[in-house]
Amino acid sequence: MKSHVLGIDFGSTTAKVVILDEDGNTVASCVSQKGAVSDEGVRAALRGAFEQAGINLSAVVRVVSTGYGRRMLDIADRTITEITCHARGARALVPEARLVIDIGGQDSKVIALDRNGLVARFAMNDRCAAGTGKFLEVLARAVNVELDDMGAEALKAEETVAITSMCATFAETEVISLLAEGRPKQVILAGVHQSIASRTVGLVGRVGKHDPIVMTGGVAQNIAAVHFLGKALETRLIIPTGAQIAGALGAALFALDDLRSASKVKRDDDDAVEGKLEQLLADPQRCTPACGKKETPVTFKA
Amino acid sequence: MNTVLDKFAQAAQRPYEHVKAWKQERGVKAVGTLPMHFPAEIIHATGALPVIVQEMPDAITSGGGAMYPFFCGYTRSIVDQVTEDQLGFLDAIMFTDHCVQLLSAADVIRISRPETTIHFHQLIASLRQPWSLESSVKTLRELVADLEEVLGVVVTEEALRHSISVFNENRRLIRDLYQMRRTGQIQLRASQMQHIVKSSMVMDKETHNALLRELIASLKTSTAPRSDTVAIYVSGHLCHAPRPEILDLIEECGATIVDDDLYTGYRYVSTDVDAGIGDPIVALATAYIRKNDNVPCPTRIDPEVDWEEWLLGAVDRCGAQGLVVLLVKFCEPHYFAYPRIKAAFERNDVPHLMIETEHDGVAMENVRTKVESFVEMIKVQRAARAVAA
Repeated sequence: MKSHVLGIDFGSTTAKVVILDEDGNTVASCVSQKGAVSDEGVRAALRGAFEQAGINLSAVVRVVSTGYGRRMLDIADRTITEITCHARGARALVPEARLVIDIGGQDSKVIALDRNGLVARFAMNDRCAAGTGKFLEVLARAVNVELDDMGAEALKAEETVAITSMCATFAETEVISLLAEGRPKQVILAGVHQSIASRTVGLVGRVGKHDPIVMTGGVAQNIAAVHFLGKALETRLIIPTGAQIAGALGAALFALDDLRSASKVKRDDDDAVEGKLEQLLADPQRCTPACGKKETPVTFKA
Repeated sequence: MNTVLDKFAQAAQRPYEHVKAWKQERGVKAVGTLPMHFPAEIIHATGALPVIVQEMPDAITSGGGAMYPFFCGYTRSIVDQVTEDQLGFLDAIMFTDHCVQLLSAADVIRISRPETTIHFHQLIASLRQPWSLESSVKTLRELVADLEEVLGVVVTEEALRHSISVFNENRRLIRDLYQMRRTGQIQLRASQMQHIVKSSMVMDKETHNALLRELIASLKTSTAPRSDTVAIYVSGHLCHAPRPEILDLIEECGATIVDDDLYTGYRYVSTDVDAGIGDPIVALATAYIRKNDNVPCPTRIDPEVDWEEWLLGAVDRCGAQGLVVLLVKFCEPHYFAYPRIKAAFERNDVPHLMIETEHDGVAMENVRTKVESFVEMIKVQRAARAVAA
């Protein structure tokens, strides 16, 4: 039986899981959204990934966790930050990448990579949610548009309107004022995405713009965010398949490094991983296996 | 050892309780000073206890109505302490620095609590003018005369020389701790070092010296190499203490803080006063002028010393592998200097990370992610260099 490794990105709004086999093939990836730093989300993503991989829990011998809730998972052999993991995952997906823009649920990060693909410097938002997925979520609610639809709606606009890039709360107030003025939703949404782009350009300025630029994280799936950010940066952003799971992929690759650098002999505590996984998945608050949103497995080989 | 460190921690964490108890026990006066360059030896020479007014962690309440939120947290905190009647135990407040925010705070204190004695004697900020020393001497003589009048005492040269000697010993003992820590001989955490320095700002110096001697005698020194952590230099917080939990967090993330230029750190003890100079006021003024050579201050005008170049050297000298800048929100001198620091560190390929701090606290998980990423980045780069070599 092949050994497998697990990368878990326990994010602020979604949980992502990637399973690699010992040869570095991606055998499963799964995303689940169950609320802020949710155990339930991790369980759902794990169940989805195991179902997709068709392997037993006992096949997993190394686990690396990342993301906001990375330290909450005692199944992890070690934790690595999402900055390091997104850099690793993005570089694996796009080997020529020199800058990674990861816009997630609560954080946005810009990571400059050196010629060898190592993190050279990075910038991250502070406490403010402006320029993050949460910003989009709040404003989608304000204009009564589904989060998944807001990008397409924004691109229908023929003009944009200025929205503050500084604060999600202020921006919501502005949006309500604009609605009260009778401005079309599409125009407001275009302004919202332009605002995210402005904020992100500020972060890019802190580390320097280096092409090619890869975008990862959940917001990479939003076509308007990609459009306005590319326009603001005057470049074409690369959105790899599996952009959202880049952090989990990076974590899995670090787990694979650990596996490969360790003895080929089965570790004494390999069974402990299985036991902890069983325990986590057997939690009475578990959700159904199908609740995880499955990603099409990313074609990737380490 | 723990008992001594506990005493430092208690005085640092509850500075005013310590001062009030000392006043009651000794029947002495206490004179508050505002940072950054006030020569507290002068207050010591009057027989009063010099106390550097500290930022308190409490939420800003009534003081918030007296100052705009875009003033730094330290300034707003001291105004709040005054409007909340927490500084009434001080017999006077004196200061010599021209920080525009501190000046505003002093004005607010004068207006809101006219009974407070708060006097300002401005030390010249430009340090390399032909008249810089003379101007500083003049200011300090005026300060001494003012203090004599406020406290009803006479400050003798002998008393000043004694105070200089006591303060020099205090600085030397703390610098000895810094040196032992840099070389890895002792393992004091950065927050413990902060307690040591911060307590020195509010405790009687002779008492503090005795405790320092006791601490140094009890510390177990080791020649064992440092554990596998990343050595970090911390810079910033020019006039008040960063929250100790931030220092602890940095060290929890796989880093060891080996040196700093914090005000509640090495900056406070960097420069002795030359006891060989006959006139003690001239000696104090000379130390003020020369201090910038030892640890540059961005509030001083000194065309001969660049903080960023000095920082690069300081990081290198202590063997740190990276710099963490703790930048106080709305600290204008630091805002002015930081872009040059950033550029210099990038130009020289020395890793650095900036963390902005606020009186109202920082999002600790966010800071943890940044610091852990910074440590991971340095470790990975170090490993890659080792492989390449």
